[in-house]
Formats: sequence, structure tokens, C-alpha cells
Amino acid sequence: MSTSIAVQTETFRVYVLLTGGLLLAAGALLTGLTYILKRNVQSIWTTYRGWLVMVPLILGCIYAGRATTIVGCTLVAIFGMKEFARATGLYRDWWMTGAAYLAIAAVSVVSLAPDPFTGQPGWFGLFAGLPVYAIAFLLMIPILRNRTQGQLQSVSLAIVGFIYIGWMFGHLGFLANSNHAYGYLLYLIFAVELNDVAAFLFGRLFGRHPLRCNISPNKTWEGSLGALAVSLAMPWVLGFSFPHFGPVQRILTGLIVGIGGQLGDLSISFIKRDLGIKDMGEVIPGHGGILDRIDSLIYVAPLFLRMVNYYYGLW
Amino acid sequence: MATPEWRYDTAQDLNQGMVERLRRCPREPDMLVYGLRWAAAFGIRATLRGLHRLKIVGRENLPRDGSFVLIANHTSHLDTLCLLSALPWKWLHRAFPAAAADCFFTRSSRIAISAAVVNALPFDREAHYRQSLNLCKELLAAPGTILIFFPEGTRSLTGEIGEFRPGIGAILAGTDIPVVPCHIAGAFEAWPKGKILPQPGRLRLAIGSPRTYAALSPGKDSAHLICRDLRRAVLELAAVHRTQ
Repeated sequence: MSTSIAVQTETFRVYVLLTGGLLLAAGALLTGLTYILKRNVQSIWTTYRGWLVMVPLILGCIYAGRATTIVGCTLVAIFGMKEFARATGLYRDWWMTGAAYLAIAAVSVVSLAPDPFTGQPGWFGLFAGLPVYAIAFLLMIPILRNRTQGQLQSVSLAIVGFIYIGWMFGHLGFLANSNHAYGYLLYLIFAVELNDVAAFLFGRLFGRHPLRCNISPNKTWEGSLGALAVSLAMPWVLGFSFPHFGPVQRILTGLIVGIGGQLGDLSISFIKRDLGIKDMGEVIPGHGGILDRIDSLIYVAPLFLRMVNYYYGLW
Repeated sequence: MATPEWRYDTAQDLNQGMVERLRRCPREPDMLVYGLRWAAAFGIRATLRGLHRLKIVGRENLPRDGSFVLIANHTSHLDTLCLLSALPWKWLHRAFPAAAADCFFTRSSRIAISAAVVNALPFDREAHYRQSLNLCKELLAAPGTILIFFPEGTRSLTGEIGEFRPGIGAILAGTDIPVVPCHIAGAFEAWPKGKILPQPGRLRLAIGSPRTYAALSPGKDSAHLICRDLRRAVLELAAVHRTQ
């Protein structure tokens, strides 16, 4: 991945046009609703403005190359971890929070480092085994500080935070090392967000039966199944992203995005409900916190990478 | 048997933007802000020592533990920076200079600098004066808080020490919180009110002996008595500076 390769890669160019076109169309639709039909869509405008900032940032990172994509993902993970730590109160334990940040930074280093055995970009063996070292490191903190009280909770939260937000989300960054990085990355981000939108729209239009009433009261089976149907169709609609995929891999991709995306959403939702909070933060106006935005990707990215690696390898 | 519930201590400012979080006081700890404050303090201390040849006398008078108040004459923005520079590094995030809310907490850029760099406490001199005094008392009730206060209420336009407003007396009367009078010389010449940037010039900070007013009962008379006593102490330190 590099700026010159990005420009020459048709997949990248198509996604730039696709997202740009969708943003323009959505802007035109919102303008029509606001000024012609006089509808109050102020909250949707706020969400839209959030996308106007996020889309160029994401495309810019991917355009700039492999290193910026990995570092960008790491920064998102670190700020996501910060939200998690603030929400759970873990951040009051600076040592543990700092150790979790260091472990997340290690994900970035391992993703950027070349494999010493094969010379390929990204040390996949160490990346896969990183949780072992990170957990060992996090368990050392109470021992080094000679502390006991509240340490089980701190260590547990730090481990969950690192594994879920640091390492699992880190798989998205690691995909930048693949030979098909543009297709994989852009497809995943696009399809996961589309899955979210589809679940919302199908739920609004046809939603009758609550999916998980205690976790997320507004989600319905109809919305969920509608989103799954869209996600199952997308690997064929956007098949240019991974032309080497056969029908099995396309179905698996659809299932991973369609089911995994919603499970990721519900995972952050049950954490928020347990904590008694509505959003993980207010970093992105109209979207909530970083974790509210990347919840689905956290779940989907590692499953997708594992599937790709199983069938084709990353390089 | 049910799993015992964990106690989550969620940040109080979770759903607030960065500016709103900085506007609050006391603020939730934030590694990014703390890091920025450390870096800024390093730069400020280096500048004060290098450009202004800041000399601090009486550092041994600073209480070793517990909360206390630092008060000083006020002629320049440099005053706050001098007092902060006199404190040990480990107290950096526990020191709260009271800053006029109508000046330092109106625009986002000023809030960011005031709160992130110097950990300023927004002090409303007009409408919510009582609430601001109560906030100072609340902060001082927590162990290890250092309140930096300029009892004149504003920067002197002449360099002379003005009358002390009774707010500081209301905070201290009837409490055993030590107050440390200080005098800063040279700040008026280096960066008086109205100038955009400071000029190089020698700064001297004299730190006096701490005193408490536990024996006084809270009230207006005590507040005025405390103000007079503290002003006298600052003037004495100023006289020492003049003789040097």
C-alpha cells in the first residue's frame, strides 16, 4: 500500500467514488427534506456531518499507505480504550490503563514489523500470540505494585479492553499488510456500516419483534434479518473487492458481516447497559463515542481476517 | 450464589465534549491533559528560569502535606506561572489557580489553555461569587489541594498592592487550612496588564511563613481581619524585596 499504488488501484478509486457519491446523495436528500419538505432532520444532519469528517479521514489513512492505516487503527483503538476505561472507572488506575495502552501500542508495532521468518510485512505469528504476552504483562502490574484491593477488577477490565478493543480491532489494521488490502479494508468498513444502516432502516420500516429487549430495546428481528439479507448480497454486489473469492467465501463474508456486525453492536450495548450509560462518549457528534462507531467492526474484522487467512493466506 | 456485583466508577464527565470537560472543576483526571500540563510546566519553568532568571526564596515555608492556600500580589499573568513553578512537580495536578471565569473561561481556546496548562479553577467574580467560594472550600476539603489565590481580585494597573477582597477571608476563617503569603517582584515590569507578550526581566518570588485562622469564627469581620493580616504579610515580603 502506498499513495501511488492507491491511485492505480481500481478498487480504491471505485470506493472513493462510491462513498463520495453516497455522501453527495445523502446531502441532497437531507437538503430536500429540510428545505423543500420542511422536515425536522437536525439530528440526522449532525450524524451526516460526522460522516463528512470520518469518510475523508478513513480514505486518507488508507490512501497514505500501510503504516498510516495501521497507526490510524491503533490511535482509534487507544482512544476507544480510553472511552472504555473512563466508562468502567478503570482509568482511575493509571498503571493498569497505561499498561493496556502500551499493550495496544505493541499490536501496532507487531503489525508494522516484518515477519523475521518470511520477510512478509506484519509479524503474523507474534500478532496471533500477542494476547499471551499482553495478559502476562497486565497480570504483572499488581505484583510489581504489591497491591491486592480491587486488582482483580482492574486486571479483568484491562484484559477485556486490550483483547476486545486493542487486539481484535487491531486485526483491521493488520489487514493493511495483505496483498488485497484495499479490497478487504474498504469492503469491511463499507459493508459493516451499510449493515448498521440496513438494520436501522429495516427495523424502522418493518420492525415488530424485539431482538434482545434487555440489551437494546430498539433493535428488532425484522431489522436484523433485513440487514443480514443485505450483507449476504453485498459480497456479490461489491465482488470486485475480492475477485478471488468463491461462493463459499462470499457467503461466509456475508454471514460474518451480517451476524458479526450485529453481535458487535449488541456486545457494546450490553456493556453500556451494565454500566448504566447511554453512549461511550461524545467524541463524534451525532454518533456518540468511538466505541459506539466501531463496535461492529471490532467483532467483524478478526473473524474476516481468520476466514481469509484460512482459505487464501494474507499474502 | 450470585456473582457479587462490581462497582464501576464511571467518569462524571463521560458524555461531555472536551471543552465542557475542561470547563468543569474539579476535573476528571486525563492522561492526555496531564501529559500536556507536564510538558507545558517544563517549558514554563525553563522560560522563567532562563528568560526571567526567576529566584525563589522561602520554599521551605511550603507545607509538606495537607491542603493549603498560596496567596500573592497580582500584577501580571506571570504571577500564576511563578507560583506554580515554586511547587514540587508531584503537586502539579493538585494546584488550582483561581482564574476569573469572565476572562479565562469564555472562549474555547482560553479554556483549553487555562484548564489544560495551568489547571485553573473558574472563579466567578460576579453572579456566582458564593458558589465559587464554596467550590474553593470543597477543593480544599480534599487532602493535598493547593489553591492559588490573588486576593486583589484582578491585576494591578500600577504595580502597587491593592486592597484585598474579603473572599479569601471567607474561605479561611474558622478553618485550620494554612495560607502561605507570597510576594512576586518584577512581574509588573515584565508583563503588565495590556501587553500582549512578556518582556525579559528579572523575577523574584518570596514565600512567607504559613499561618492559620482557626480561632476566628466565620463572618464578615473575620474575613476583613484576615484580609488585612494577609495584606500586611505580603507588604512585609515586598519590603524585603525592595531592600534587596
